[in-house]
Amino acid sequence: MKRFVYINDDEASKELCCDNRISNTKYNLWNFFPKNLLEQFSRFMNQYFLLIACLQLWSLITPVNPASTWGPLIFIFAVSASKEAWDDYHRYLSDKKANEREVWIVKHGIKKHIQAQDIQVGNIVWLRENDEVPCDLVLLGTSDPQGVCYVETAALDGETDLKTRVIPSACVGIDLELLHKMKGVIECPIPDKDIRRFDANMRLFPPFIDNDVCSLTIKNTLLQSCYLRNTEWACGVSVYTGNQTKLGMCRGVAEPKLTAMDAMIDKLTGAIFVFQIVVVLVLGVAGNVWKDTEARKQWYVQYPEEAPWYELLVIPLRFELLCSIMIPISIKVSLDLVKGLYAKFIEWDVEMVDQETGTASYAANTAISEDLGQVEYILTDKTGTLTDNKMIFRRCCIGGIFYGNENGDALKDTQLLDAITSGSTDVIRFLTVMAICNTVIPVRSKAGEIIYKAQSQDEDALVAAAAKLHMVFVGKNANRLELMFNGVMIRYEVLEILEFTSDRKRMSVVVRDCQNGKIILLSKGADESILPSACAGQQTRTIAEAVEHYAQLGLRTLCLAWRELEEDEYLEWSVKFKEASSVLVDREWRIAEVCQRLEHDLYILGVTAIEDRLQDGVPETIETLRKAGINFWMLTGDKQNTAIQIALSCNFISPEPKGQLLLIDGKSEEDVSRSLERVLLTMRTTTSEPKDVAFVVDGWALEIALKHHRKDFVELAILSRTAICCRVTPSQKAQLVEILKSCDYRTLAIGDGGNDVRMIQQADIGVGISGREGLQAARAADYSIGRFRFLKRLILVHGRYSYNRTAFLSQYSFYKSLLICFIQIFFSFISGVSGTSLFNSVSLMAYNVFYTSVPVLVSVIDKDLSETTVMQHPQILFYCQAGRLLNPSTFAGWFGRSLFHAIVVFVITIHAYAYEKSEMEELGMVALSGCIWLQAFVVAQETNSFTVLQHLSIWGNLVGFYVINFLFSAIPSSGMYTIMFRLCSQPSYWITMFLIVGAGMGPIFALKYYRYTYRPSKINILQQAERMGGPILTLGNIETQPRTIIEKDVSPISIMSTQPKNRSPVYEPLLSESPNAIRRSFGPGTPFEFFQSQSRLSSSSGYTRNCKDN
Amino acid sequence: MPSNNTASSSAAGSSDSSTTRRNSKRPKYSKFTQQELPACKPILTPGWVILTFLVISVIFIPLGVVSLFASQDVVEIVDRYDNDCIPPPSRADKVAFIQGAANKTCTRTIVVPKKMKQPIYVYYELENFYQNHRRYVKSRSDAQLRSVRDENQIEGCKPEDDVNGQPIVPCGLIAWSLFNDTYALSKNNQPLNVSKRGIAWKSDREHKFGKNVFPKNFQMGNITGGGRLIPNVPLSEQEDLIVWMRTAALPTFRKLYGKIETDLQENDTIHVVLENNYNTYSFDGKKKLVLSTTSWLGGKNDFLGIAYLTVGGICFFLALAFTIMYLVKPRRLGDPTYLSWNRVPGGGR
Repeated sequence: MKRFVYINDDEASKELCCDNRISNTKYNLWNFFPKNLLEQFSRFMNQYFLLIACLQLWSLITPVNPASTWGPLIFIFAVSASKEAWDDYHRYLSDKKANEREVWIVKHGIKKHIQAQDIQVGNIVWLRENDEVPCDLVLLGTSDPQGVCYVETAALDGETDLKTRVIPSACVGIDLELLHKMKGVIECPIPDKDIRRFDANMRLFPPFIDNDVCSLTIKNTLLQSCYLRNTEWACGVSVYTGNQTKLGMCRGVAEPKLTAMDAMIDKLTGAIFVFQIVVVLVLGVAGNVWKDTEARKQWYVQYPEEAPWYELLVIPLRFELLCSIMIPISIKVSLDLVKGLYAKFIEWDVEMVDQETGTASYAANTAISEDLGQVEYILTDKTGTLTDNKMIFRRCCIGGIFYGNENGDALKDTQLLDAITSGSTDVIRFLTVMAICNTVIPVRSKAGEIIYKAQSQDEDALVAAAAKLHMVFVGKNANRLELMFNGVMIRYEVLEILEFTSDRKRMSVVVRDCQNGKIILLSKGADESILPSACAGQQTRTIAEAVEHYAQLGLRTLCLAWRELEEDEYLEWSVKFKEASSVLVDREWRIAEVCQRLEHDLYILGVTAIEDRLQDGVPETIETLRKAGINFWMLTGDKQNTAIQIALSCNFISPEPKGQLLLIDGKSEEDVSRSLERVLLTMRTTTSEPKDVAFVVDGWALEIALKHHRKDFVELAILSRTAICCRVTPSQKAQLVEILKSCDYRTLAIGDGGNDVRMIQQADIGVGISGREGLQAARAADYSIGRFRFLKRLILVHGRYSYNRTAFLSQYSFYKSLLICFIQIFFSFISGVSGTSLFNSVSLMAYNVFYTSVPVLVSVIDKDLSETTVMQHPQILFYCQAGRLLNPSTFAGWFGRSLFHAIVVFVITIHAYAYEKSEMEELGMVALSGCIWLQAFVVAQETNSFTVLQHLSIWGNLVGFYVINFLFSAIPSSGMYTIMFRLCSQPSYWITMFLIVGAGMGPIFALKYYRYTYRPSKINILQQAERMGGPILTLGNIETQPRTIIEKDVSPISIMSTQPKNRSPVYEPLLSESPNAIRRSFGPGTPFEFFQSQSRLSSSSGYTRNCKDN
Repeated sequence: MPSNNTASSSAAGSSDSSTTRRNSKRPKYSKFTQQELPACKPILTPGWVILTFLVISVIFIPLGVVSLFASQDVVEIVDRYDNDCIPPPSRADKVAFIQGAANKTCTRTIVVPKKMKQPIYVYYELENFYQNHRRYVKSRSDAQLRSVRDENQIEGCKPEDDVNGQPIVPCGLIAWSLFNDTYALSKNNQPLNVSKRGIAWKSDREHKFGKNVFPKNFQMGNITGGGRLIPNVPLSEQEDLIVWMRTAALPTFRKLYGKIETDLQENDTIHVVLENNYNTYSFDGKKKLVLSTTSWLGGKNDFLGIAYLTVGGICFFLALAFTIMYLVKPRRLGDPTYLSWNRVPGGGR
């Protein structure tokens, strides 16, 4: 299918109709009710309640007034529907805002200002700098004479670097005036969601060049939601609009997530449902038998001889209705309410506010807080999540002189500043390399400041540092670079850029100094790739030592080098380079080879040291969560060495001899399968040892492993508590989440960038860090937090409390419903199995909705253990992870309790209110009061911490019960008229209540005490310890011990300072690399390289043992 | 329902506004929002638990004794007459007798075992009579009983709702099956006045049964159920009906027949002349005549006293058992050595 877009031709494009109205709303005014109702009724529980409510309309079978079900049902539906409506209204508002944005378009040759929603396919849209692109455009012209413009695609793919877009070849050289009158046709595919492909053709009509069909690629497009940067203006023709844009098509409806707890509650509900059916069948049969044997004799009942066909069904259906209360209608409302409150607690938590930016945590998904307490695997991104993703230039060594050693900041080192002012050649050259040996684009903001747009944070750090040292990179104009050094403008012309690849581990630029015409080669790169190319005379020992020294401090090092080229040499080389750049086969390798020829005899200027700071508290957070039994996997797009280094520094893996790293690699299927098997074998044997074993896998091997050895890999995933996956793509991240999920683990994915979005959406819980890489991940996530360390609090405090509270709340809801239901069932045995309700309609309705839901709602502020205790003993999370507080056996306990209480209430009531007192209304109220009293005490007994609110709600509710019933008893027309007054004036009523409480609570209290003292759970022990003020601190010395942080002068990163031989020169532009490059870097023998660098890191055998296996 | 409007949905919107909005929503500190309300966290220490059980037993046992005494103080005479009031020849087919036209008068003699102080309540007790049967208990129209205007509200009254299209007042099975045995008591051959006034609840007389509602078409259908009503007396004064219409929740129940407002002495002989009209024979229901005094707890009912004694006893036993357990096997509360992860390093799971 093709679509033909006629440029600037309103008539011809009419049939494509679709305007640029964006709509994310789920409903509109007309379909809201049917659609919302349909949606709500797709849930089993709602269908069940609707069925019950409908059955109740049949007055022959209903034991109570239908209002007792319809009321709550309508209430619940109204609440859900209004919440949906509210959300949808907000979506509508944000759409409206986007739709009514003003844009410039060309219509009939005239520029017009219209609203974004009125853009038609085929319109020419004009954008100015920093405008957001309103729909998918094909670029026609830009302010740049060469037809280039820059766009920021962060909203689309999460990549923050600027991308260049060029106008199609056919449009080159078209005059600004002519652009208004441009006509032509674009043949493009029908809308799809592939943001990396756009295969189209364009043909312009006369008077424009009409000779050829010009092909278009994604390079010629401006996609919706990108921002135009660094370009004065650009214009393009709209090809996809509204919801048909690439972004609009990508927009998936995220599936609502269901927590493990919800699943368990559903399961228990199912069990109760089955139980209910059994009860109904048994009672139904019994009722029919009793009717035929006994009731026929009872003349006063007047059973007709002739019965309609449905007669046999009447009694079972009556019991169905009587027992329908077993599944509490209130549980859904209560759970929704408390879940909303859990989410609010997360948002309100002042300890989870990022002090730097003032961003509070945010819970976008209010329904899954309990899952936080059940997390078993955390899959984390590295950059920006564990690290700050904020590279800071800290130190440097120029010509053997160390700068910044005293105060840890070279920028403030007076010695260096002096050297700059005095104009030392080496230092100036060094600064020049820092400033221009890169692909950074300087952008001048409105205020006149210069902002650097860099692909890699390292480059950004270097350029920014150079600027602070008076070497300001001012502008880049095509190939012209402008530097401002101490107020003097220096110009360079870029001749070639020798790009970075991970096997070259360096990048260079060739520039011509416009002042004197000299051609210079500037290089920067990892020490192992630069030092061997040093010129013969130079002593590299000091440089190597500097690198060593900085690496020990955990800094990322780069060597900077310089060489003046002869004109001839350059020209000769340039030809070869061009040739290599245009080969089709193995281009990358050829280029590398050619580059090699130029990058030799370098004069090493010095070493820079950049700090990639870990976020505060990352190692502690990981350690604590580890103790809590949570397994960590690191999924990063970064390379192996960097990943391992960061992993070490943040407690992710332990250094030798405690830890052991196993590598899975290989570029072919056999290699991967062999190493996978080997790793698996090691894993199996070491599981019994108290050793931290982790496996490392890269994206390439992972792909093979998942394709061919999925089963083995899954087993490995189960065995391994730690894994580092490097060089993985966003979809592989999502795949790994999927694998863990398929093993029935609860997964939490945390990330900050657009490349983590898929993983975040895939995982049971997605957490986004609202960090520097934009808000993409934070928006897709269920929770967004400011810093990684808040994860600890999110899981251990909020997740755990939520789980505990919901566990109590849900089981309690079943308990109280079962309690009243059992009483009804017992009563049916003394009412001729006829399905009479002991309680009146009002009581039944109010029992679930008011009397019993208020006290239990206050359990949302109950805390079994204080936050400090939990933080000190994170192991306690195990109770939540393993679902110890809500499972069939705990549920059986509650079931038994409700059965016991029902027996107590029923037996005591019918004996205490026998004979002359056995009046229906009175007896019903006595039994009901008994239930209310018991439930108040049950809630009190299960409450761990009593605040004012608890007392108010538990005892206030009891008082409220009497107040409500007094009110009803005062209405002459109600069935309960005077009943409550009569009862309350009888001593026997109160005596009965006390008896019910004593007999009901005594055994339970005794049992609880016995368990609490003689069979205590870990939670109980900690509770006791906490409240006895005992010495709990002495044992769980988890956080009391300060982390051994480096020598005095070092920034937070390295715990590896204890290993003197550790170093890791890391230089890596983010988000570049082709899979090809990865493969090449692991050519034959590369595993050794890996292990060599590792063995430097650790002296003993762990890593190398594997190496030998190799 | 989570509102999962993900990345994409808001992408076309404005990221800036959401950031500022979030910033402005920076939480304010309050004890509630931080979940730090001052709380009392009781734990179950042996001392408290043992004390609680002791206190319960100390309260419950005397209460039980008092209740038991109250119940013992009540003098109650129960006389089952359903079988004896059938002449021996008819006992083979009691149902035929009770439905027949024969004279159903029957005389019973009761000896007062102990002095009974007035007021002495006269009850009739029915056993195996399901006033709580669903078909039965719903078969009434409260609106009709209350007001003459609503006499056509007979939806719930089937099958005793109308006669030839005319509504029955009072309609429904309950009224239709009105108990109609009558008792005439005499003490030592002196007629003993059984007051029938005030046997029904005052609230019922005043608010539930209308003063201007008169029986209509009552017991005029094809089958006659129980008793008849006096035609010209408003329902609010037909106290037997009002009592009967307060349905019992249990199949064995007593309903007030009348009150004797004189004391009865020990060994007084009471003769009861009763009209045995009511048919309980078809379902083997028992009929009893009960004379009883009351205490502050109500009628004679040992259940509460015994239950209190039992619960109190169990609590005392538990207190004792826990004390012994505490002495024999003391256990330090909150001993961190019980935490498994303190014993096995690193063994969190």
